[in-house]
Amino acid sequence: MVFVTYAAVVGALLALAGLILGSLRLAGRDVSAPLRTYRGWLVMIPIVLGTLLLGREATIIGVTLLAVFGFREFARATGLYEDWWMTGIVYLAIVALGAVSLVTDPRLGQPGWYGMFMALPAFVIASILLEPVLRNRSRGALQKVALAILGFIYFGWMFMHLGLLANTPNALGYLLFLVFAVELGDIAAFTFGRVFGKRKLRERISPNKTIAGSAGALGVSLVLPWLLWFSFPHFGPGLLVLTGLIVGIGGQLGDLVISYIKRDIGIKDMGTTIRGHGGILDRVDSMIFVAPIFFHTVRWFDGAG
Amino acid sequence: MNTWNYHPSPDIGTPIARRLRSFPREPGMFAYAVRSFAALLLRAWMRIYHRLHIDGRENLPAGGSYVLVCNHTSHLDTLCLLCSVPLRRIHHCFPAAAADYFFTNLPRSAVSATLINALPFDRAGGGAQSLALCSALLEERGNILILFPEGTRTTSGEIGRFRSGIGRLTAGRDIDIVPCHLEGGLRAWPKGRALPRPRRLRLRIGQARNFRHLDGSPESVRAVCADLQRCVGELGGHNE
Repeated sequence: MVFVTYAAVVGALLALAGLILGSLRLAGRDVSAPLRTYRGWLVMIPIVLGTLLLGREATIIGVTLLAVFGFREFARATGLYEDWWMTGIVYLAIVALGAVSLVTDPRLGQPGWYGMFMALPAFVIASILLEPVLRNRSRGALQKVALAILGFIYFGWMFMHLGLLANTPNALGYLLFLVFAVELGDIAAFTFGRVFGKRKLRERISPNKTIAGSAGALGVSLVLPWLLWFSFPHFGPGLLVLTGLIVGIGGQLGDLVISYIKRDIGIKDMGTTIRGHGGILDRVDSMIFVAPIFFHTVRWFDGAG
Repeated sequence: MNTWNYHPSPDIGTPIARRLRSFPREPGMFAYAVRSFAALLLRAWMRIYHRLHIDGRENLPAGGSYVLVCNHTSHLDTLCLLCSVPLRRIHHCFPAAAADYFFTNLPRSAVSATLINALPFDRAGGGAQSLALCSALLEERGNILILFPEGTRTTSGEIGRFRSGIGRLTAGRDIDIVPCHLEGGLRAWPKGRALPRPRRLRLRIGQARNFRHLDGSPESVRAVCADLQRCVGELGGHNE
């Protein structure tokens, strides 16, 4: 039921956007860039919805694949990819995160080995730190180690809390809401920025983001949990407000973090995987902050982890 | 504190289709893993389905860069030659493949670049640009180049005339060229057929040739082509 509602809402929004783009084009405006982005959505949305509908295992595998290829983009952008040992450790670690999200907890018998998921970073960071020792290299070791740890923790571990969310009893509602709200927040920030934006939010990080856009996105994110209450009917009003804040603030923080990473490296997009959107990381960036904070909030207040 | 220097991959920001077509390609862990696995499967398939037999493996030079030239009757030629080189050198083995055929769309480019490790050869304009690429490859150590000097798949069963490219590439330079001949390709997978038939294949690898004593003049280019054409023909003629 929840799924059908979301599919209908997304379908309606897509149709509306298509109509607007079509009429703008008929009016003689150049819409080639937004049209490319729109086509990207048309490809992505069925894949994401289909994966979520297939259930827990498909969702966790999908999240793992996104993390693997997201980290690959990060490694290629920073130059870490030249060190196959270091990237190999991180790839293995990301696959291990996916595996412990999939298996049953050996003591509690619940789906997903939560304890091991939380413990893995200790072992992975130790392995990354030991790599230069094992290979007897010191040149550039600190930079490689730092990039590998960041890549694993941020693009792997934090992002993959989405896979843990798939293990909760209300998984479909949470995941559909998060994906929908985070992406709508992105679009809201862009639209409000375009229409009302004057003052820059962080001009030395991302010249396109404005304070108006940011406020608009936060406003939309605060309203959405109330409109989509049916996704998590057991939430009280306090938790609805908190969810709105997490999505509204977390989403934009993720966006800004990836922006300064790109700016420091000196590239425009992390990749070219999704036509009209850039790389995988350019699309999932907003989710990276939201996933772990939302998961732990739900786990704390809801008890369902 | 100084800021770090990053070395983004040079092909970052290029769309995947163009990245596959570009050469030299940036080595990648995924591509290497997939290619190694594909090479193993290919060897098994060739052994079992085509009962591929390889004569003269010992004629392949051990170190250094060299060129393999072969008659060209089907796509199996490339695959057999890929099976003949040592597995650990598979990522440094580049079959020259016509860019106007093997790199025209995304799936085909992906197979050509990832599984076959093909060098996109631009046949237009005598192939001068692509020959320069080949030349640069051979200057590095440990690269293997696979060339089909006939330029296209032949259908008659005879060895076609060798084009001048191989001569221009190797006349007057210290490059080993290993002539090879594949027998059975025409019966197994003639031009125009979608899938190969289970016919026996036999690859003969001849003694390496070297033309460093020649100069780069048109006569020596012709001499190189004629010599190699004769070698490949002789290898094929053993059983007839």
